[in-house]
Amino acid sequence: MPDKFIISKLSNGLNIAIEHMEGVKSVGAGFLVQTGARDETPDLAGVSHFLEHMCFKGTPNRSAAEINIDFDRIGGNPNAFTSHDRTFYHGLARTEDFPTQLEILADMMNSSLPPDEFDMEKNVVLEEIAMSNDRIEHVAFDLIVESVFKGNSLAWPVLGYDRTVKALTRDQMNDYFRSRYTPANMVLVVAGAVDPDEVIAQAEKCCGHWVAGEPRPDRTKPVMGTGTIQKTIERFNQQVVAITFEGPGAADPLHDTAEAAASILGGGNSRFYWNIEQTGLAPYAGAYRLDFGDCGLLILMAQCDPQNTDRVVEALRKEAKNFAAGPVSDEEIQRVKNKRRTSLAVEGESPHHRLVQVMDDIDYRGRPRTVEDRIAAVNAVGQDSLRAYFDAFPVDGEGLLVSVGPLKSSAA
Amino acid sequence: MAEAVHIQLSCGVELAVLELPLRRAVASEIRVLTGVVNEPADKLGLAHLVEQTVDKGTQNHTGRELQDEFDKIGTGVHSWCGKQSSGFTSLCLPEYFARNMELHAEFLRSPTFPQESCDVAIELARQELMTLEDDAQGLADKHIGKQAMGPLLGRHTIGESDTLASITRDDFMSFWQSNYSAGKMQVSVAGPMSPSQVQDIMEARFAGFGDNTPANRDVIPVEFNPVTTHHNKETEQEHIVIALRGVPKSHKDYSTARLLMGVLSGGMSARLFTEVREKLGLVYWVGGWQEHPRGDGLLYFGASTTPERCSKTYETMLKELARVGVDLTQEEVDRARTGIEVRFDIRGDVTRALCGELADDLMHFGRPISREDKLDRLRKVTIDDVKRFSESHVHNAPRSVVTLGPKSLES
Repeated sequence: MPDKFIISKLSNGLNIAIEHMEGVKSVGAGFLVQTGARDETPDLAGVSHFLEHMCFKGTPNRSAAEINIDFDRIGGNPNAFTSHDRTFYHGLARTEDFPTQLEILADMMNSSLPPDEFDMEKNVVLEEIAMSNDRIEHVAFDLIVESVFKGNSLAWPVLGYDRTVKALTRDQMNDYFRSRYTPANMVLVVAGAVDPDEVIAQAEKCCGHWVAGEPRPDRTKPVMGTGTIQKTIERFNQQVVAITFEGPGAADPLHDTAEAAASILGGGNSRFYWNIEQTGLAPYAGAYRLDFGDCGLLILMAQCDPQNTDRVVEALRKEAKNFAAGPVSDEEIQRVKNKRRTSLAVEGESPHHRLVQVMDDIDYRGRPRTVEDRIAAVNAVGQDSLRAYFDAFPVDGEGLLVSVGPLKSSAA
Repeated sequence: MAEAVHIQLSCGVELAVLELPLRRAVASEIRVLTGVVNEPADKLGLAHLVEQTVDKGTQNHTGRELQDEFDKIGTGVHSWCGKQSSGFTSLCLPEYFARNMELHAEFLRSPTFPQESCDVAIELARQELMTLEDDAQGLADKHIGKQAMGPLLGRHTIGESDTLASITRDDFMSFWQSNYSAGKMQVSVAGPMSPSQVQDIMEARFAGFGDNTPANRDVIPVEFNPVTTHHNKETEQEHIVIALRGVPKSHKDYSTARLLMGVLSGGMSARLFTEVREKLGLVYWVGGWQEHPRGDGLLYFGASTTPERCSKTYETMLKELARVGVDLTQEEVDRARTGIEVRFDIRGDVTRALCGELADDLMHFGRPISREDKLDRLRKVTIDDVKRFSESHVHNAPRSVVTLGPKSLES
């Protein structure tokens, strides 16, 4: 049986990470491009995401329609997403169709950014921005990021702004594309019942001729902002409030402890669930982690009737303070670990889940982890690591409070 | 893959088990065959409230203690309320399956509906209605549901503010007593458990739970209203939803309907995506989907776009719905079929998805349908079948349309 993971590199520098899985019918494959919104300049805000759209619009070998048709001929389920620090193009197909799937994905990485498609696709992106503006939780999330990372390139939304997208030219996008979509910034990730030697041979055939290129410029770690930000939008009925604290980054040894802490505080069957939702104060209250390679956030967020806003903010703060002050029982810690272990066991069955997990590990940790490695990391969470987490990343301070909704002012 | 085993238990529960020896976890879905259609007309929202509070306390445990017990065995639990059923799904390691079912049986059989939990559930439902007002797509779906399915099947799960206000704890108790029993339960299990193991556990846990006579499997007719309505809302985008009559999952033309939907909306080369988004850049989102009350079916097509592009988007969608039955190609049918088959294979790698398929089969066919049988039906559909279906159910069919946003189609 082949090793679980095979890590390889083509002569042009393209890294390859393969997870061999037994007993599955599908195979997931994707190109991780290690560039995202935080690698843009302010005037190019949104270019990474817009470029992700354009990579589906044509290559020297295929028109947009041909890309779509060729994927659909194998039922390839192509998709892509852009975040603040990465872009990932992926597909899920039958094992026997893997060579075709990889060939199309690789072709897309050599997009011709067809000029006649550029303005058309710009309209699509502007519609996506309009759709996001109609969602209060999206508006709140963008405001959190904008405020907490003010002055850093993490501050602008992944979609960019209406004005920056409208002003963007194809030449600007092309410059960005040529400098970032190079083997130095890319990883091919594959998970499924594949023969690793065949994957590497296919990668050589499809990607071996790519020009090596330079790594993207270094990133600057942000300094986290605090304070209170309120945005009044009268057309919404509810209020969204969020208190944000600094947390460990994805590669930090305290990462799994931070995940457990968020789950105890604001996951299912959590303190927020029983002490906020199940008192009728707010229908949704949760604790969310936002990870980057070099930093992270813990966001305590709730949606509520505007008249409950101050009480909800008070309740979020009170729960965070009580949590930090302790005690946290061993049973409480064990419960969230048990749930996470079951989830990991189930996710381990699916090539799609493993594809995304391996990609995440490679990007942030430089090496993939097995399901067993991940479970071991969850098992290591305990009283000591929780104390270390609270010492390093206090959750009983001011943080950044964001409030979005119809309220014109709030004591919060 | 092994075939699912279908057993009518003496306790009244209808059980289907798909044994998957190599999987790590067991997925289960308990469907109680009651939903919004069983609510009294002046108590809309009650089925959802009962589903939300049935696990908030028993004679032996408080709601919090029950959740802690699930967490102790690492079992992820989730529940939902639909039109004709309420679902309780879970995922656990096989060694904890018996305890998982013991806990489910405890709250399904002996809920105490604490007054405080009932009050909180009603208050949260009131706030969820407010949340829905901020969800333009969800609101458009609510309106089209009423319009396309009629007053009974078109009820919204959360209810209405006036009906919620009139609901009391006695209503919770009475709804549970009338609608939760072993004879109204279908249970599906997929994972490394043998059918006999599961059968023994379920018989032991649900024996004597109310009436064991199978019930609530009747068909409630859709009352389709072919009108166009506009709902004013201050939003950046306009939402369009078109509803047409479809066919039930058990109908001979169901696979034909699936293929047609695949051609129109299944993949990236599907017609709506190609014509509305790729060629004209009118939208970010456009798509089609089906909904299946037991014994019936509806086809939906939706898009959201800024108001100035709304009419053009709607016209293009209608043009594509009319054209598909005329100039459909064999290549398109083949691609749609491949897409469905591959998604079928991919779902086969996911235990939870297989369990969901099983639950769906019990609901719509009254028995598990083999995956080979489903694929066989799909493979037999011809291009002429799809054209014929398109002409009868799409091109020449009455449609119900909802728009929601700042501008109606006429303005």
